[in-house]
Amino acid sequence: MTASATAAPRGGAPHAGHDDRSFIRKYIASTDHKIIGIQFLFVSLFFLLVGGLLAMGIRWQLGFPGQPMPLGGWLPSGVAPGGVVAPKMYISLVTMHGTFMIFFAVMPLLVGVFANYLIPLKIGAPDMAFPRLNMWSFWVFVLSGLVMLSSLFVLGGPAAAGWTAYAPLSATPDYTGVHLGQQLWCVSIVLFGLSSLLGSVNYITTVVNMRAPGMTWFRLPLSVWALFITAILAILAVPVLAGAVIMLLFDQTIGTHFYLPAAGGQPMMWQHLFWFFGHPEVYILILPAFGIVSDVIANGSRKPIFGYASMVYAMISIAFLGFIVWGHHMFISGMNPTLASYFMVSTIVIAVPSAVKVFNWLATMWRGDLHFTTPMLCAIAFVSMFIIGGLSGIFMASTPVDMYIHGTYFIVAHIHYVLFGGSLFAVFAGIYFWFPKMFGKQLDERWGKVHFALTFIFYNLTFFPMHILGVAGEMRRIYDPTAYAYLRPLQPINVFITINAFLLFLSQFVFAGNVVRTLWKGRKAPLNPWRDNGLEWTTPSPPPHGNFATIPTVYHGPYEYSVPGAAEDYTPVNQPPAAVPEPAR
Amino acid sequence: MTARAEAVRAAGGEGTAPAAHAASGPPGGVGIYTQKLGMWVFLASEVMFFTALIGSYIILRWGAGNPWPDTRAVLNIPTTAVNTFILICSSVSMVKAYAAAVRDDQKHLKRWLLTTVVGGAIFVGVQVREYIKLVHHGFLPSSGLFGATFYTMTGFHGFHVTCGVISMAWVTIRAFRGKYKGGNYHGIETIGLYWHFVDLVWIILFTIVYLV
Amino acid sequence: MERAMTAAPAGPEAAEHKAPNYVAVWAALAVLTMVELAVVYMGLPRHVMILALVFLALWKAMLVALYFMHLRFEPKRLLYVVLAPLPLALILVIAVMHGFRK
Repeated sequence: MTASATAAPRGGAPHAGHDDRSFIRKYIASTDHKIIGIQFLFVSLFFLLVGGLLAMGIRWQLGFPGQPMPLGGWLPSGVAPGGVVAPKMYISLVTMHGTFMIFFAVMPLLVGVFANYLIPLKIGAPDMAFPRLNMWSFWVFVLSGLVMLSSLFVLGGPAAAGWTAYAPLSATPDYTGVHLGQQLWCVSIVLFGLSSLLGSVNYITTVVNMRAPGMTWFRLPLSVWALFITAILAILAVPVLAGAVIMLLFDQTIGTHFYLPAAGGQPMMWQHLFWFFGHPEVYILILPAFGIVSDVIANGSRKPIFGYASMVYAMISIAFLGFIVWGHHMFISGMNPTLASYFMVSTIVIAVPSAVKVFNWLATMWRGDLHFTTPMLCAIAFVSMFIIGGLSGIFMASTPVDMYIHGTYFIVAHIHYVLFGGSLFAVFAGIYFWFPKMFGKQLDERWGKVHFALTFIFYNLTFFPMHILGVAGEMRRIYDPTAYAYLRPLQPINVFITINAFLLFLSQFVFAGNVVRTLWKGRKAPLNPWRDNGLEWTTPSPPPHGNFATIPTVYHGPYEYSVPGAAEDYTPVNQPPAAVPEPAR
Repeated sequence: MTARAEAVRAAGGEGTAPAAHAASGPPGGVGIYTQKLGMWVFLASEVMFFTALIGSYIILRWGAGNPWPDTRAVLNIPTTAVNTFILICSSVSMVKAYAAAVRDDQKHLKRWLLTTVVGGAIFVGVQVREYIKLVHHGFLPSSGLFGATFYTMTGFHGFHVTCGVISMAWVTIRAFRGKYKGGNYHGIETIGLYWHFVDLVWIILFTIVYLV
Repeated sequence: MERAMTAAPAGPEAAEHKAPNYVAVWAALAVLTMVELAVVYMGLPRHVMILALVFLALWKAMLVALYFMHLRFEPKRLLYVVLAPLPLALILVIAVMHGFRK
């Protein structure tokens, strides 16, 4: 048997036997970080489905403008007369797609699921620092999601000012005709901010105060580092959004004029406040992905991660820089050109730590003993897609280029390369990798690879052509591209994208099927299926309440794979040094 | 360099710390107990929340150069100055309660906690009275940018004080039930941090909203 | 009663630092508030008045943070947590103000 098995606390299972919590305390109002992580997983996968469905509506209209949607006849005639989505509703569709995907799918998938599930297990803690706050974080998130969902069905339709809710479009119903929808959007975002705050306080405190003996800062797995830094970003950025959204809500409801120019308000102030949150938010959506991918790539290459410390410092500098570059979203807003050039330079500087990370991943894989498991494939896809998304980001950082491509499909392509190709591939990598830990059963590798291959192909066929559309001048949030003579010749590209988008959507059912089938009658996972070093694999799967029978002791860093002379090509972090060859002193 | 560390290095892991011989250091932590650390992290985020509100006020008033009414003509400075003083006093009584909890002086702990709750409640009451008067004089959130920023900033501060009073009342009840006996002062210190923070925000607000 | 409060601390962990004289801090805060009022009604030039008021407000805030929230007696590490948001807040406000300047 492997070394990890001997190190695994056998006493874990009896501890679970003593678990006399009621069903509700155990699975519904649970304070157990593992259950909360799994709750986040299913709820945010549901919102991913909602966001995906909205995306299909968008794509149908762009590919086949004016033709009735499949099943479109089921929609009320106010929304889609004759099965064709109404122009006004189209903007709502785009708004809600962005909102659901960013706030209710990708962010909770990365932070809610992995921070909750992994942090205590990976640092050797029995639970979070504040388990009850953690439970509230989840239920407030559900509440905010329900408020957002309900806004889809209210009179006047859901919010229609884009996910960025630019004022004055969002601050008054005069332009969009949306009253209640936009107000519910605001309420939901404030609740979401509260949920994120409760979660982040927990993650930070847990990482700082609850590490197992020997788990020093520079022995933390990079996934924990990433989630920790993400939580700091969330703590400092999300409250600014909450404040800004509250003022927006007041503009709509009690007649204030924060963002309405009529009485001296400043629409530009909304953009500044929003992007002061919005740019750190971008890193909230990618840093956890960095962490997950670092863990998976080191494991899949059977090599120590290349440049551990530089990975950490790169993330810290990305996080800091993320706070001082928000203006690059606003180059065409008429801001002071001196300020714009400052924002341009600081934005381009972010390419440096990002490149450090990419080269470190490549160097980790270089001459490694690569195991092309599904999580590893997703992680490699992440790195390559992040390179494309990162490079197109540098285009936008440059003010003169951005003047041209701002508000076009080039931006849409970029955001999807980092958010889908980046974050979502990392989410898939994480789910495939830790599914055996969460449920004790291993997702079918063959179907996993089918899902990966289909997603990778259709994803690129969907989003890469958008670069071309963007440079050719197709505007984002456009209702009918064929209405413009100069865009009409490009319509075949739109049709192509739409077909691939539908195939991409359908490919996800391979994943859903795999999950359902595995949960129902999957084979039991071995104790440490990926032969990983992490502490989470030294306890049974799924871990009992309280995680570890005794708090483990950590003896070395998390990436000691293929140590020469060792019996196994991995060294669990809690393996005492006596078990590895004694160094000659 | 040890052979072991060299091996790690050869495998490509410059950054990986060489294996230590034993678990180094005490169990994780920075010597600040969990509730206090959590509260400080929460307060850091509160700073950013008030930055959004106060920053908007500064931007709208001075950055965008909007015409601004004479605040002294609209607001009642003397009453609010007294109110500020009451809030400061409740902060002092809070810190006295903390000192009593540290000393395990239950009698004074209860007395000072009660004083704090009463002080906070008076502050909220005076502010509600001020709002009612202002509304009667026709000064509303919709009365220009001053009305909007004034009610948003002081309103959210008042909301924080109200939350504070409610939590302080709960802490006081717990103190009367003897939950903070035997030098168990962590709960008192943690809620105290929140209370002082709210006081601190008011010191800033009083100056830049009422006086400037 | 005041005397009882300012008596030497005898708590288990209070020995780490001498408890500050809270009454003195309270008096300072009260005096500074009165000075603020005086500044307002003194009829100084407007920008001098604003500068003085901001200075006084920051002074009071410092007193509360250092003594009531006993940051003065905390480890430096905690100070980083506390100070982290302040530069960001300043950057936000200054940059936006600058952005409006044409």
